[in-house]
Amino acid sequence: MGTGTQISQVKRYSDDFLNAQVRTAQASSSGLEAYQAQVQQVDNLLADTTSGLSPALQDFFSAVQNLTGDGAGVSSRGSFMTSADTLAARFQSMNGRLDEIRKGVNTQLTASVTTINTYAKQIAQLNDQIGKLTDSRGLNPPNELLDKRDQLIMDLNKQVKATVVPGDNNSLTVSIGNGQPLVVGRSAFQLAATNSPTDQTRVTVGYVVQGKVTPMAESALTGGELGAVLQFRSQSLDAAQNSLGRVAIALASTMNDQNRLGLDGNGKPGGDIFTVAPAEVTKNVNNNQTSTTAITAAVVDATQLTTSDYKVDFDGTNYNVYRLSDNKKTVISPFPQTQPQVVDGLAFSVTGTADSGDNFLVRPTLGGAANFKLALTDGAQIAAAAPIATSVPMTNSGSGKISAGSIDKNYLAAPLAGPVTLAYNKATATLSGFPAGNAISMTVNGTTTSYPAGSNVPFQDGASYTVAGMSFTMNGAPANGDTFTIAPNTGLGDTRNASLMGDLQSKNILDGGKATYQSAYATLVSTVGNKTREVQANAAAAAAQLTQAQSAANDVSGVNLDEEAANLLKYQQAYQASGKVMQIADTIFNALLQIGH
Amino acid sequence: MTLRISTNAIFQAGTTQINTLQGQMAKTQMQLSTNKRMLTAADDPIGSAKALELTQSQSMNTQFGTNRTNAKSSLSMVDKTLQDVTTQIQNIQSLIVTAGNGGYSQSDREALATELEGRLTDMIGLANTTDGSGTYLFSGYQTTTQPFTQTPTGAAYQGDQGQRSLQVGSARKMAISENGSAIFEANATGNGTFVAQAAATNTGSGIIAPGAVSDRSKLTGHDYSIAFKVAGAPAVTTYTVTDNSVSPASAVLSNQPYTAGAAISFDGISFDIKGDPANGDTFSVQPSQKQSVFTTVTDLIKTLRAPADGSTGKAALANNLSMASQNMKNALDNVLTVQASVGARLKEVDYLDSTGDDLNIQYQTTLSGLQDLDMVKAISLYTQQQQTLQAAQVSFKTMSGLSLFNYIS
Repeated sequence: MGTGTQISQVKRYSDDFLNAQVRTAQASSSGLEAYQAQVQQVDNLLADTTSGLSPALQDFFSAVQNLTGDGAGVSSRGSFMTSADTLAARFQSMNGRLDEIRKGVNTQLTASVTTINTYAKQIAQLNDQIGKLTDSRGLNPPNELLDKRDQLIMDLNKQVKATVVPGDNNSLTVSIGNGQPLVVGRSAFQLAATNSPTDQTRVTVGYVVQGKVTPMAESALTGGELGAVLQFRSQSLDAAQNSLGRVAIALASTMNDQNRLGLDGNGKPGGDIFTVAPAEVTKNVNNNQTSTTAITAAVVDATQLTTSDYKVDFDGTNYNVYRLSDNKKTVISPFPQTQPQVVDGLAFSVTGTADSGDNFLVRPTLGGAANFKLALTDGAQIAAAAPIATSVPMTNSGSGKISAGSIDKNYLAAPLAGPVTLAYNKATATLSGFPAGNAISMTVNGTTTSYPAGSNVPFQDGASYTVAGMSFTMNGAPANGDTFTIAPNTGLGDTRNASLMGDLQSKNILDGGKATYQSAYATLVSTVGNKTREVQANAAAAAAQLTQAQSAANDVSGVNLDEEAANLLKYQQAYQASGKVMQIADTIFNALLQIGH
Repeated sequence: MTLRISTNAIFQAGTTQINTLQGQMAKTQMQLSTNKRMLTAADDPIGSAKALELTQSQSMNTQFGTNRTNAKSSLSMVDKTLQDVTTQIQNIQSLIVTAGNGGYSQSDREALATELEGRLTDMIGLANTTDGSGTYLFSGYQTTTQPFTQTPTGAAYQGDQGQRSLQVGSARKMAISENGSAIFEANATGNGTFVAQAAATNTGSGIIAPGAVSDRSKLTGHDYSIAFKVAGAPAVTTYTVTDNSVSPASAVLSNQPYTAGAAISFDGISFDIKGDPANGDTFSVQPSQKQSVFTTVTDLIKTLRAPADGSTGKAALANNLSMASQNMKNALDNVLTVQASVGARLKEVDYLDSTGDDLNIQYQTTLSGLQDLDMVKAISLYTQQQQTLQAAQVSFKTMSGLSLFNYIS
């Protein structure tokens, strides 16, 4: 009798190399998909030309322009207030949406960390069971458990890119990030979602070692949803919110500056139109508790503002300000400060004492849009008029003229208390009577000459004069003794200052005088658009790669039903053939038996 | 070697492909239904940024258009009012001519004076014109202050010399108002360079002509007086011109024989005196000053009400009417000059309007090129995508339906 057949091993058709490829592709594809889902939210928020910032910005400046055309200005002051309020609401609502997305990131990070921890535990358990079930010869492996473990590792890669190395006893060692082990044999390590030490509202990922959480570098956690969400937050969301905040701060501070240069409807110097957000300063929770350091950062020059955040630390000797976008370091010197240290248009003031290593996070633009609010309570507070007015008395016999004049911020230090009268002396061809104690500069054809305070300054047709923050141009040919008066303005139907506010719309203010408010916002839109586009393209490519890797792996380990059917037919026929043989043998055997009878 | 494809892969590839096609179709559908090429900035980041900036430029251009409409209405109102002022001044000028009629009696002149009072009130009314919103046209920045109030010597100006302006183009701020001082007060007296005047105390019948500048380069801008002396028998009339601006006053011309109507010339100035000046009569020649048209008219009314008896009175009347006539002419010139400048600005606004319209079309075209969908292309793409999707669905159905198992029974 024959021995028949014996199944010694059911072999798993599986190619380790192809599987690793699928895992990599899976991590990258899931990551990009998650990134895409996040960044598209920002893209959609900014894209709408009817509800984005642009229409509100344009309406606001239209209101400013309408104010310049309305001498009485009661109704146009009202519409200025309304559209300024609308603009503020728009900034806040856009920022509110970004805040929501930020909260979503926190939730997703927490969920992702929980999932990773669960997977890690399950993989460790499977490692344990597989080790126990594998016989010493390596035969009869628990295939079903191996499949299950492979599937878990694949799922883990959807969350974060994991490296898999075979270990003892048919176990797998899984590590993430910069080689931090997640599963080693039967034991699993844990991640933790904790708050950033410098920002209690920001969830970060840490690695738990002996009950203590060590923060992990975000750059190390790549791939998968976890990596993608972290990357989205640091690359796109922070940048977008800072960028929007920067436009808000620049708009608020430049409009305020201009308003201060004017006279309001009550004849008083203008104040703030909008509130300018203070920089958010947060202290590292790990700083020494005895540290008494207080840091403030105020915008002094909106044109120099960047979208970067800053770190201020104390190295034991000096306080240093680091611009986080490129780690440019500025030492605060001297310390203790005699005046604030200005870095990128921000005045940093540091007081108190810190311990070496203590650090602080300064985010000047993050809250810019959220805190962009209308500071005026009454339309009459809009400083539409210029504070000075010039005139020429009727008694002048010459043809000398003086322009309407303008002021700059130096005027605010010593505003005119009363009229200043310039008198022309024909014999010396000079003007006298400039405000006492102020140097005078005279500009002719672009050449500026300075004269000390109290000087008699030459008169020249077409020359511009600047004194005590006031500038004006003189024309014509005055007669001897002719006078020109510069006096505090009393005419509130004047809209020269409102007109200058209107000019700000098309003035290059941001980025060191290279961008208007609108173009800075447009840059934000196109940056997010570009990133979205890039991620979309990469996500599509990664998805294709994943499909390819999967089908390659499937083609080895997967089943083709037709192939199976063909095999089935083959085996069926072989079976039938065998049956036939049996039948024939049986027939022969019976025939032989009958012969024997 | 043949490629081995797992059945699972076939199904996966099929669904993925169909998903992708449906996604593409949905996007084209969205583009078609919004008629927009760019649905989000991701579709064309640079285009979106450009579109945003263009939208701002377009909105500013539209705003400047609104400003131009405001400027036009303001300037037109100024122009219209100045036309009325011109008419009033011309009316007054003809009244001056009438008043010079030698046959007019004191009561005739009194009637003229009464009429002039009415004209003066009208003119002050014009100077106090307000626009639709109650803003005074001619008070400079003091838009809520009535510019002129009548006084015994004319009218006092309460406005300032400000000129309100509007941004009417991307690089053009235009003055949209004129101040009352420049229109009504900045009128030169006399002939514009000097004023030749008879003293009020003159007793003779000398009438001084406005005169003219004979040599501008010799002008000094000094005050001169011309004193007459009638002495001797037969009486000889001589005059002496004294320059009062030098110290001590010195004679420019001494004891010149007087001939009625003969030119008297010195220091680039030339004029004549007619009639018979009496001994001790004086005339003055002084640099022009600026005088309010309201003062001129008020003075004129006083002149007409003053008695003009005898040759002295007639000469005083003639001298004063001549002075008023010169001053009114200067006032008219001044108003016409302002009006011309307003007219030029109105014309410029029209020109800027047409450039603004052109610009708007350009912005619209560029924007539409950036944002709008090429409908024909999109519809054809949509049809193509529809066919591809159908083909994919049909082929998937066929392929997935194919199985050897169908044949095994």
